[in-house]
Amino acid sequence: MNPDPSDPTGNAAERGGSRPAAQRSASRQALGDIGDGIVVVWWRFFDWLAIVPWKTLLLVGVLGLILASILKHPLPFLMLLIASLIIKVVAGGKRRAELTASEATKRAETQHLERTVIEARMEALQAQIEPHFLFNTLASIDQLIVTDPPRASKMQQSLIRYLRSALPQMRGGGRPTLGQQVSLSTAFLEIMAIRMEDRLQVVMNVPEGLKSAGFPSMVLQTLVENAIKHGLEPKANGGKLEIDAEIVDGQLAVHVLDTGMGFLPKSEGGVGLANIRDRLKALYNGRAELIITVPPAGGTCATIKVPYEVVPATA
Amino acid sequence: MQPAPASAPAAVVADDERLMRDQLIARLKVAWPELSIVGEAANGREAVASVHRLEPDIVFLDVRMPEMDGIQAAKALAGMVHVVFVTAYDEYAVGAFEQGAVDYLVKPADPDRLLLTCQRLRERLQHKPAPMDDLLAQLSQRLGGDMKAREYMRWVQASVGANIRMIPTSDILFFHAEDKYTRVQTEGFEALIRKPIKELIDELDPAEFWQIHRATVVRVDAIEQVSRNLRGHQVVHVKGSHEKLEVSRTFNHLFRQM
Repeated sequence: MNPDPSDPTGNAAERGGSRPAAQRSASRQALGDIGDGIVVVWWRFFDWLAIVPWKTLLLVGVLGLILASILKHPLPFLMLLIASLIIKVVAGGKRRAELTASEATKRAETQHLERTVIEARMEALQAQIEPHFLFNTLASIDQLIVTDPPRASKMQQSLIRYLRSALPQMRGGGRPTLGQQVSLSTAFLEIMAIRMEDRLQVVMNVPEGLKSAGFPSMVLQTLVENAIKHGLEPKANGGKLEIDAEIVDGQLAVHVLDTGMGFLPKSEGGVGLANIRDRLKALYNGRAELIITVPPAGGTCATIKVPYEVVPATA
Repeated sequence: MQPAPASAPAAVVADDERLMRDQLIARLKVAWPELSIVGEAANGREAVASVHRLEPDIVFLDVRMPEMDGIQAAKALAGMVHVVFVTAYDEYAVGAFEQGAVDYLVKPADPDRLLLTCQRLRERLQHKPAPMDDLLAQLSQRLGGDMKAREYMRWVQASVGANIRMIPTSDILFFHAEDKYTRVQTEGFEALIRKPIKELIDELDPAEFWQIHRATVVRVDAIEQVSRNLRGHQVVHVKGSHEKLEVSRTFNHLFRQM
């Protein structure tokens, strides 16, 4: 007997008798590996059983039986086949449901990610400041500096407030609130009121209490710009623009009403409206909508409905 | 030849914003004191009317105006008066003006640039105003005002409850004729309109909607699949609706296999 494990000449019988610790653990690991392998194979087999159509399973069974009878040992295979059938009946449905569920979760995650990306891209699109608006406003300020400096200063301040929240890179993080969106549009409308003079009357009807509600950025502004550009500006005498907000059945409803040209069934409605619809879909997954109606008195009413959620104040 | 006209030249200024008219008039006074501004207009229609009434030598037209835009007004006035376009934003590739019979100004008019415009106008006043057909055609094309392209219905006006609602065609799954009305089906609701299928199909974009039956028009993008029912008819399944729509034989060719 040679107890020295490092002895290279030790014979097999001796090694068999007193296996060194290192070798023992190695073989245990090998056993474990085989065990793991069996488990994996078993679950693979289980999954396969769960999703394989009955027809295929029966076909495989018949072929296997023929093969087994040729080998003269049909019994074990028959037992395996019967066991498989039982497993498929008892557990197959559950396993299949699990598989579908995990696939669905994976799909939902990708979809969510896709939606976030699309939303970000669309928000950037929606936010574009119209050069025409910007240059016309600057030209107006230029004129007022000569004729009415205090008014020029007021207009310039409104422009600064507008740009601060309308420029994408200035918008910053945090969830936008209705209050922020209303103040952005207010700045815009102050400017338009100076430019359009008595051709534009603005009515703001947004209760103070609703201003902390979450509201997607630039959506209200797009509707306001549409009302001015397609509704009131093309009308020689202009008209009224009204913004209302209310809670309807637990949803926040924001209306932009104008007494302008009215909606033409063949008009494209701008990329703006289609963009709003897509964004609402991406952001609220069907729980928000944009509705365009024609008020009895003419003009256009655009309504956005989103779930009412208060954004907690930061700071 | 004597270059100076006998009487002082007259001009009309048209812009929908008063501030902008005031600005141009004030700057013209400095750049060309002899020019008299005989009229102002707040939209294209008014501009055309004042030119007819006052017969000025020159009209300054804002490109974007209500009722009738500057381009349309210029078309109506072609050959009657020298036209200078005014715009806030150089979006119409205004370079085209430079070779043309007219001039253009960008708001707010730069005093030096305005001097140049006045100089050009003084020279042009010797001649009859040029017809601007080519230039205007080019411009209106740039402005997207080309009316030749056929416009299809993009919105359906329908009563939903007490309201008249504008439903974008992209939300509509299908139209189906029912007695006196046509049913408009969207994913969320249905509405009734009076316009019959026969008229609808002429106004809808054939790339967006297909008629599949005398009584049915379906939005192509909403089609999920087409199968056959027990009677061997093709049946269209629509996303977001459980209804199955039968395809009549006349329209079978729409779904022939590729």
